[in-house]
Amino acid sequence: MAAYILRRVLWGVVLLVLVSLLTFAIFYVLPSADPAQLRAGRDASPATLHQIRVSLGLDKPLTVQYWTFLKHLVLHADLGYSYFSGASVGSLLLDRLPATISLTLGAVVIWLLAAVPLGVVSAVRRGTWVDKLTTGGALLGVSMPVYWLGLVALYLFANDIGKLPLLPGAGSYVPFTHDPWKWLTSLILPWLVLASTFAAVYARLLRGNMIEVLSEDYVRTARANGLSERRVVWRHGLRAAVTPLVTLAGLDVGLLLGGAVLTETVFGIPGIGRLNYDAITHADYPLIQGTVLLAAIFVIVANILVDVAYAYLDPRVRET
Amino acid sequence: MRRSANRALSLVSLCIAAAIALSACGSSTTTGGTGASADNGAGGHRGGSLTVLTSQDMASLDPGITYASLDLNVLAATERTLYTYAPNDPSNIAPDLAAGPPQISPDGRTLTVKIRSGVRFGPPVNREVTSRDVAYAIERGFNPHVANPYASTYYGDIVGADRATGGPIPGIQTPDDHTIVFKLTRPTASLLAQATVLPLDAPVPPEYAKPFDAKAPSTYANNVVSTGPYMYAADRGGRVLGTGYVPGRSVRLVRNPSWSAGGDKRPAYLNAITIEIGGSPTVSGRQVLAGRGLVLADSPTPELVKRAYLHNRSQIYFSPGAGTNYAALNTAIAPFDDADLRKAVAAELDRQQMRTVRGGAVVGDSGSHFLYPGVLGFEQAGGQQGTGVDFLANPQGDRALAARYMKAAGYPSGKYTGGQTVQIVGLAGAPDSDDAQIFQQALQDLGFKTTLKLVDSTVMYARFCGLPKARVQACPNVGWIRDFADPQTVLDVAFNGNDIFPENNPNWPQLNDPAINRAMARAELTVGTQQRANAWGTIDRMITATAAAIPWLWDRQPNIFAANVRCVPELWNQGHCDFAYTSLK
Repeated sequence: MAAYILRRVLWGVVLLVLVSLLTFAIFYVLPSADPAQLRAGRDASPATLHQIRVSLGLDKPLTVQYWTFLKHLVLHADLGYSYFSGASVGSLLLDRLPATISLTLGAVVIWLLAAVPLGVVSAVRRGTWVDKLTTGGALLGVSMPVYWLGLVALYLFANDIGKLPLLPGAGSYVPFTHDPWKWLTSLILPWLVLASTFAAVYARLLRGNMIEVLSEDYVRTARANGLSERRVVWRHGLRAAVTPLVTLAGLDVGLLLGGAVLTETVFGIPGIGRLNYDAITHADYPLIQGTVLLAAIFVIVANILVDVAYAYLDPRVRET
Repeated sequence: MRRSANRALSLVSLCIAAAIALSACGSSTTTGGTGASADNGAGGHRGGSLTVLTSQDMASLDPGITYASLDLNVLAATERTLYTYAPNDPSNIAPDLAAGPPQISPDGRTLTVKIRSGVRFGPPVNREVTSRDVAYAIERGFNPHVANPYASTYYGDIVGADRATGGPIPGIQTPDDHTIVFKLTRPTASLLAQATVLPLDAPVPPEYAKPFDAKAPSTYANNVVSTGPYMYAADRGGRVLGTGYVPGRSVRLVRNPSWSAGGDKRPAYLNAITIEIGGSPTVSGRQVLAGRGLVLADSPTPELVKRAYLHNRSQIYFSPGAGTNYAALNTAIAPFDDADLRKAVAAELDRQQMRTVRGGAVVGDSGSHFLYPGVLGFEQAGGQQGTGVDFLANPQGDRALAARYMKAAGYPSGKYTGGQTVQIVGLAGAPDSDDAQIFQQALQDLGFKTTLKLVDSTVMYARFCGLPKARVQACPNVGWIRDFADPQTVLDVAFNGNDIFPENNPNWPQLNDPAINRAMARAELTVGTQQRANAWGTIDRMITATAAAIPWLWDRQPNIFAANVRCVPELWNQGHCDFAYTSLK
């Protein structure tokens, strides 16, 4: 198992280098803004533009720029400085990370707590009004864009612009360390909004998996052996049906930790997603590279964790 | 027939979607409705805090680098430039750090400014400002680590500026602590005097800033010192980054303890100003209209403008003179190297419809030339009536006239039959994309085959419209706003044939008319307000007559604020609430 994990970690490092190279290539090859021009404004002469390029190190050959970046990253864990604000990329990421972690983990808890019972009940009571209601609700949840749902949630429930002012609205986020209660209340609406789509998808997937699993021979055998229906469903059915969802959840959590830009924007949460969006808008290459690498790290780590969890849930995986 | 039907349909649907539907659609008036009125701020209530909501971060805190609109808004409260504009007078410069009016020598080659005594830097410098600090501020603009974008444009005539790299410039002299003298190579002192309202000359203490300026790029922005009534919150060492400024999150302004109200016209009623960065304008706008002590620094969405105009009229202000929007036609390549084809497009284009999709008459007048209302020379160029060219006479377009110009261009059917497909690059996102589509429709009605690419603003300028080798034939969403109250700042960079650059080219139509270039060269050296107005008004007429670009809107910028905010709009800066004059009710 240890060798397996080590092999995955090494592959992760290779992937990170590839991701950084790809990000670098995309930034310079595809149509995008020019950081020097953004900094210079429209009045600037070619000479001024050149000065800015020199001061940002953009005048050097691309290979030199990339090598310098890699060298600083590997030797000093230094992601460089934002072209736009002059702040170190590392400090900007650290500043934004708690908000994104808060948003993601809270949403994950909510969507799993909602999706698992809904998916199971829907599968067990297939064709009944409970199933139809759950399936319809899931369809609705999948169909609603997060951005739109966020706006509706704010217009309904935010305590500043809502018709039923129940919860803090956009821009109310405070870090947990500043005020845990305000942190909690400020995140309830974003959690619910972000979780709704995922809960819907997961419930539908789990329903399908459960229906398939419950028709398997070993489940019939379990029933024939006199096990209670509750034990058959929750112990034997769910354990097998939930395994593919673990893979998906791992990937989704990894992606969301890389930034939930729409939710963060609607609710004014200063997270990684918004940071990445701003970096792209400002053609702030060091920051783009930093946010992309961070997202990649989360996805890779999540994948490794998923594989380990998979092996735990399904003993056959350990043997292969 | 099908095109006409589509056009009618799009007009109806756009009108429904656009802001101010009730007042705008179908209106042909040139004077829009108004919300709140301009204010000089006198007699405001002292105290309280203002919160500014914006989706956009500041471009830079360094007065030597930036001149973005939000940044100018903040710098007007934190810095003192030699001259400034009173918030309700965007035309006449008034002394700020200067002790009196600028003294211009009879030959126009020397500008002398006396500096006020008793103005002090905020912490951690805490000493009196001298003329040497102003000189250093300008000199560092030429330092490659600072690389001010407009230093060479407006300060480039100073003796020795052409060789400046951040050290002393021979043409900037400081005979004593309270006098600064600019020696110029050309008689352009009156233009330089006007340019001193820009933040480059806000004093910078050399003994404090030089270590920051030695780094590439300069890190002075992270440690900036203030001279105005407000300063960025900072740690004991003066570091602003992480305290008064958290990138992408917030800017926090507090009172500057070194500032003295004596000798400064700004009342500085507010105790503190916080700028919260990063929300969605849709949500932030509603928060502002419903909340207290709030201001929106973003352009409000059309839906929000409509809401404010209909339900919160006292909370919206439409700032006049917020720029010209125009469609640039590339005169350097076919097909628009043909002036008659350009005039046909101008005649065909329904400029009123382009305004309607943005909100109608309240957001501006249908433009007919490039100097817009409030800019010197506007009346001389023809004012609201226009310059008199027939192809811009009807804001709704004139199809018969367009057909005549098409025939003059060699297309007897009145439709384009050449093989050229016109590449149009416009801005993504309504209402800009709607305007681009209206423009595209006009070309298609004239028989052109077109491709329309809609991109982000930065991409549009950097990779397409401002890059001649991209060979884009039409850019319908470009625009220009003055740097200060002189018409040269509107016309020179944007239409001078000598300023066509291989990249970051601001002369989007690539107009290179020798007669216009010569007229500009003469006008640059013209002295006297009336004389400059006449000279540049004439140039505006000449540019308009080429149809190299089609002006379609003279902007009025909407600004919204909470009901308990007495917003004093900066008419020189798109009507942002001036933090040093604004108060809470």
